Amino acid sequence: MILAPERDSADRPITDGEIAIINLESARKRSWCRFLEDPTRDEVAGTVVEHEQLTLQFVGDVFALDRVELLAAQLVRAEVTSARATLIRAQIASMAHRFSETRQYLTQAEIGGAPIADVDRLRLNVDQACGSNLNNVLDARRRIANENHGLEDFVALGSLLADLQDFAAADRAYKEALLAYQDVWPFPVAGVCFQLGMLWGELAPEPDFSAATQWYRRAIAVLPMYAKARVHLAEIYSSDGNLNDAEALLRPIVALGDPEVDWRLADVLAAQGKFEESEARMRAAHSGFESLLERHLLAFADHGAEFYAGSGNDCSRALQLARINADNRPTRRALKQAHNIATSADDAAVAVELASVVIKR
Amino acid sequence: MSDHIDGPRQIGDPSADLTDLFAFTSPENPSRTVLAANVFPTCGRDAMFSNAITHSIVVRRAKVSGMGDATKFETSDPEVRFSVRFDALERNGANQRPIQRGTCTFPDGQTLPLVVNDERGASTPDGTFRVFAGLRSDPFILAWIVSAMKPFQNLLLHDNVLCIVIEFDTRRVLDPDRGSLFGVIAETVPLTRLGEFVGSQPPRIDWVGRPEQTNVRLNCPFLGDVDDLRDLWNQQTPFAIADELRPLFLQRLRDSLAAYDMHDGRQDWTPAGLAANANMFLDDYMLFDVTKPITDGSHLEIEKSTLNGKAYETGGGRTVDADVIDVLLTWIVNRDREPLRGGTTKATKPGTKTFPYFATPNLELQQVAESIDLDATADKVWELIGQFGGDWHPLIANIKLIGNGVGQLRVIETVDGKQIIERLDAVDNSTRSYRYMNISGIPASDYTGTLEVKPNGAGSTVEWRAQYLGNGQGDLIVRTIVSTLFKTGLGSLKSRFGAGK
Repeated sequence: MILAPERDSADRPITDGEIAIINLESARKRSWCRFLEDPTRDEVAGTVVEHEQLTLQFVGDVFALDRVELLAAQLVRAEVTSARATLIRAQIASMAHRFSETRQYLTQAEIGGAPIADVDRLRLNVDQACGSNLNNVLDARRRIANENHGLEDFVALGSLLADLQDFAAADRAYKEALLAYQDVWPFPVAGVCFQLGMLWGELAPEPDFSAATQWYRRAIAVLPMYAKARVHLAEIYSSDGNLNDAEALLRPIVALGDPEVDWRLADVLAAQGKFEESEARMRAAHSGFESLLERHLLAFADHGAEFYAGSGNDCSRALQLARINADNRPTRRALKQAHNIATSADDAAVAVELASVVIKR
Repeated sequence: MSDHIDGPRQIGDPSADLTDLFAFTSPENPSRTVLAANVFPTCGRDAMFSNAITHSIVVRRAKVSGMGDATKFETSDPEVRFSVRFDALERNGANQRPIQRGTCTFPDGQTLPLVVNDERGASTPDGTFRVFAGLRSDPFILAWIVSAMKPFQNLLLHDNVLCIVIEFDTRRVLDPDRGSLFGVIAETVPLTRLGEFVGSQPPRIDWVGRPEQTNVRLNCPFLGDVDDLRDLWNQQTPFAIADELRPLFLQRLRDSLAAYDMHDGRQDWTPAGLAANANMFLDDYMLFDVTKPITDGSHLEIEKSTLNGKAYETGGGRTVDADVIDVLLTWIVNRDREPLRGGTTKATKPGTKTFPYFATPNLELQQVAESIDLDATADKVWELIGQFGGDWHPLIANIKLIGNGVGQLRVIETVDGKQIIERLDAVDNSTRSYRYMNISGIPASDYTGTLEVKPNGAGSTVEWRAQYLGNGQGDLIVRTIVSTLFKTGLGSLKSRFGAGK
């Protein structure tokens, strides 16, 4: 098939984002019913986790993590000890960024006879998330992408290339992902558009906000309630002084209960001079972050650090969280965040220590 | 299971996943034929059709061109195609349920607009065609753990699917005088994008002919570590499997059918019979004869009689209530020597005798409600319990509020160390009520609670209600947890305010 220039799956007919979200929510609730009816059916538990992962990623429903923890507890209570159930618990631990625990479960699952391809896939994800064995991970990602030509394979490769600061190659991998996509579900397409927005808006050393804006907009066009894309686009609008558009992006997703939305909206409202509401939003953001950190410290340590280093206005808490994140997954990005926060917190000793680690990586 | 979740690609978009295909004579009118296709397994209560897919049911005239071990069915042009597409959602108001419309295109090019979930369906002005599309109870009976060949409860109990039903005047549409045997398939294909080059039709997502081609026959659990051919199969063109791939699929069918035959330790199929059966299943379309009776027991009778070297006697096809997996397993395991029965022979709900023939969806909510009369004014009681983060319940050890107003969360630690997280959805101080949703902690899906204080003479009545989606046998556990929570809380109010007089 010959494609016209600049055409990719983002303009292919795909299921309307509103329908897809309704269907995800409908299927998610149904899968929970099926699981709760019989928690020993580990294949249903796996479906629940898949639905919750999508809900966390694309709907921005942070309570998905609380729900999967409930599922893990139910599996333990029901004494479901199959290799598949262990793999599910590994997935849940990975969702919450508890990577050491994930590795332990993966070892158990492997010993228990879980499909080696499933174990390897998750282990690769954990290595990538932790910045471990990156050369091996890169070889594996390239090989898998070349063999399968699947969207998710190119996305994983693109994400790794971005971590390795090869931004042009990452861009190519993401666009390959869009070209490879033949289906109609909008979530994968929206996800790639978002990654491209992140690539050029946040990861690249010299951000291209115009490109990032275009990609975030495409992500939102595909999936109108894509919370993360709305938050990131609102940040760009806000920094451009386009406060009304930023507010319009954030208002519809406040009800999700994600403190990052409260924080960004508080900043926009403050810039608009709406101080009373801004303060209320900031209080909600503060209590929301603390609650999330209490329940899922490792999953939100980097977000919390960013909040406290910014409008949350608590450098020592920011540094504490950034170090927890960097200890958990010592990626270049995590170390850089911790280093920057240490520098702005005037903690020279920590900044020097972190800088040396960043350089080594 | 029939064709539910039959390959990695279908799981990528569940609303494109065809679960089942049906062909039967209308129970309302024997001069009419009903074709139906279901998509989106375990879709829940609110699912909608994808607006990026063409859903088609395609019929071709068929004939028997060989019998016994030389069994062969052939189909011929022209195809009779029914295609249904759906639109994006419409909303009449912010809080209204969305409406979805669609259009069915008939073999003669005529189109018929329809509204999803309209029980009456839509009819063409001359009454030739009638179409329904919407949520229904899944009629499939999966009462087996097939990988262990163990009878089990229906694994699809209480599930819903999205259903497309097309009923038509048999004589006008199929002209049975030219031959009354037909083959039918259903398929889901992405829409072609605007400006796409001619010939660049997007790959088909899923198609289904006879039940269980993919999940049972091509993905036999007894074959060990073999390649999963289901995606490759789903991308084949129905009625025209690629010549170069036919040997691959045929070998898999032979291996699979041989494994099923020997499952009970007894060989019921001769090698020639097994090969003929595999050849027959390779041409995957469901056969039905519109001049013969199609009953709950006639599924696969056309194929089986022909393989047995006899003229078929029924219309084959598949009714809503046909227990197709028992029919299939009996045939492939012991060649109808003795019936194999799953854990049940009944679906969640049986089909109906009236249009659209598929039972209403499973939408039942479980409810728990408790109340107590108190010897205190409604305002006084509300003052205590009307705060979402109020610390008044004896089973709560600690309660923490996050955020303000509607949307705020309460994180509750119970005295037995459990955590419950709930979100405030609405509050009305004038009626002294609030509504909340459980985020986690109660093992129920879609759990909503309401607490309300009403004046009652000189005193008041507190009502505490909850509703959630049923979990079958888990309902009793949830009911016990919630009921205990409510009764203990309300009982503590009686101690505090005194019983109503």
